[in-house]
Amino acid sequence: MSWLAFSGSRADRLGGRLGFPALTLAYALLVVACLASLAGEGELSLGRNPLANLAKTAVEFARPSFIDAWFGNPWLEYRSDDGSLLRVENRQEVERGYLAGLAEATWTTIRIATLGSLLAALLALPLAVLSARNLAVPRPLAWLARAVLDVARAIHTLVFGLVLVGIVGLGPTAGILAIALHSLGSYGKLFAESIETLDMAAIDAVRSVGAGPVQVFFNAIWPAVLPQFVSSHLYVWEFNIRDSTILGIIGAGGLGLLISEATALFQWGRLSTVLLVVFLLVASFDAMSRRIRKALL
Amino acid sequence: MNGDPVARAVALSGLVCRAADQRTLLEVDELQVAQGERIAIIGHNGSGKTTLLRLLSGFTRPAAGSVEVLGRALADPLPAARLRNLRCEVGQVVQGVPLVARLTALENVLIGSLGRVAGWRGWMRCFPAEEVSRAEAALQAVGLQAHAPRRADRLSGGERQKVAIARLLLQRPRLILADEPTAALDPLAATEICRLLAGAARGATLISVVHNPVLLPLLAERVIGLKQGRVAFDLSLAEVGEQELGALYRAGSAVPPADWRAASQSSSTRIDGVTGFTGNSLASQSWR
Repeated sequence: MSWLAFSGSRADRLGGRLGFPALTLAYALLVVACLASLAGEGELSLGRNPLANLAKTAVEFARPSFIDAWFGNPWLEYRSDDGSLLRVENRQEVERGYLAGLAEATWTTIRIATLGSLLAALLALPLAVLSARNLAVPRPLAWLARAVLDVARAIHTLVFGLVLVGIVGLGPTAGILAIALHSLGSYGKLFAESIETLDMAAIDAVRSVGAGPVQVFFNAIWPAVLPQFVSSHLYVWEFNIRDSTILGIIGAGGLGLLISEATALFQWGRLSTVLLVVFLLVASFDAMSRRIRKALL
Repeated sequence: MNGDPVARAVALSGLVCRAADQRTLLEVDELQVAQGERIAIIGHNGSGKTTLLRLLSGFTRPAAGSVEVLGRALADPLPAARLRNLRCEVGQVVQGVPLVARLTALENVLIGSLGRVAGWRGWMRCFPAEEVSRAEAALQAVGLQAHAPRRADRLSGGERQKVAIARLLLQRPRLILADEPTAALDPLAATEICRLLAGAARGATLISVVHNPVLLPLLAERVIGLKQGRVAFDLSLAEVGEQELGALYRAGSAVPPADWRAASQSSSTRIDGVTGFTGNSLASQSWR
């Protein structure tokens, strides 16, 4: 990463005409190095019979398990090898029970994403104000705020989640805190950028009538940044809905738990049902937030 | 001009202003403006006009010398409360878009009253009814009452400048600083803005930066020419002729562009009918 940045800055010094090919060449070399070393270690194989596996998985995927809730076999008999009846299962009832659990898990995921995003936005607000480059904040404070935001952004939600599960125990609380800590970085950056693009002439105009700092904030800064804040909030919130579906894998509750369960048992039909729900959730939230954003600007 | 401190709006002495790189921006030995005077400052770009105005509103600090505005010395460092106190009485019209884009025209006018509206009302933009009705009257005075609920960024350039003047009307300052209020406006709109500004400045001191000599009679009785940060001349309007203007603009690199004469000719012919401003020594035909 730092190596790439270095070659980039040297390319700038060489001049644009020579710099871009040099950068492209460096990138091509990196890709070749990655491929060649992996191939050399014999890590590029696709397994024993990938095509058959793919076909089998695809067939199960194509038949999501929720169909069974209406069309499943109501009298599925499990028999032992000698033909004696072990157990009778009503597939429709079982799948309906699964769907109820799925709805509950979806609600948990939404709750984790919503509360985590809100918490992150609230925590990021003061940090963004401190780290904005145009507000003349004392240097050490600005550096501290920027450092906190960078660290938060660098650590993945899952890593925060794993650590937090150890601290606050299994359940949605760990998920909420993990989402909040990671999104803090994204919020801080987005908020600071919208503060940095403020029209300073308008702010000076409000200051020039003798308004105090708080009056300047509420009359010039707040109305100008609020729509952008809301827009950033919707964007990160949507991202977090996607992100929190995976948090269940580490025990933070929600859809991720069902995903890890289905993959562990190779139940591709159930996985396909869960993924359908995830898709609908993200798509509908995206449609909604796009409308809100359009209305705001 | 007047030495009496009560009747003095602005007094500068021994003033030196420097940029961050120690370049001298402005050097004024002695300058006094009486209460109620109307002054135009002219000079080419970089001659220190804007620096002078920012100095008077406390946005820029002098490197040396004393600045006195409305009887208050702008000492360095100036306590924030006293600076705000002064700014309540100093109205400003700046070039460009000086409005808060997402607020309505009426809310932008109401910003003019922030100096008087204290506490939570000013924070929540919940202005007293008396100020609101005054702001509506101010918008009516500039002919924009129909645009009151429109957002500032939906207004045209001329309309925005009119809103800024309405804000000035609500603020009722004793000193008005106008920095190229007609920049980027067509000649007709420029005359209208200047007349509105002159009306808003009735009873107050008006100091404006003007580029177009045609607009001088609308805004000033006294003209101060700045050249490379120094006062080149300080004369009454009648005394300012093509000679002074020529000397001010010809020297250095800042020769007016070749098409300037044609442009100002067309503007002066349009304005003739409005102001009866013909045959003056400032008329642009012989201007260079």
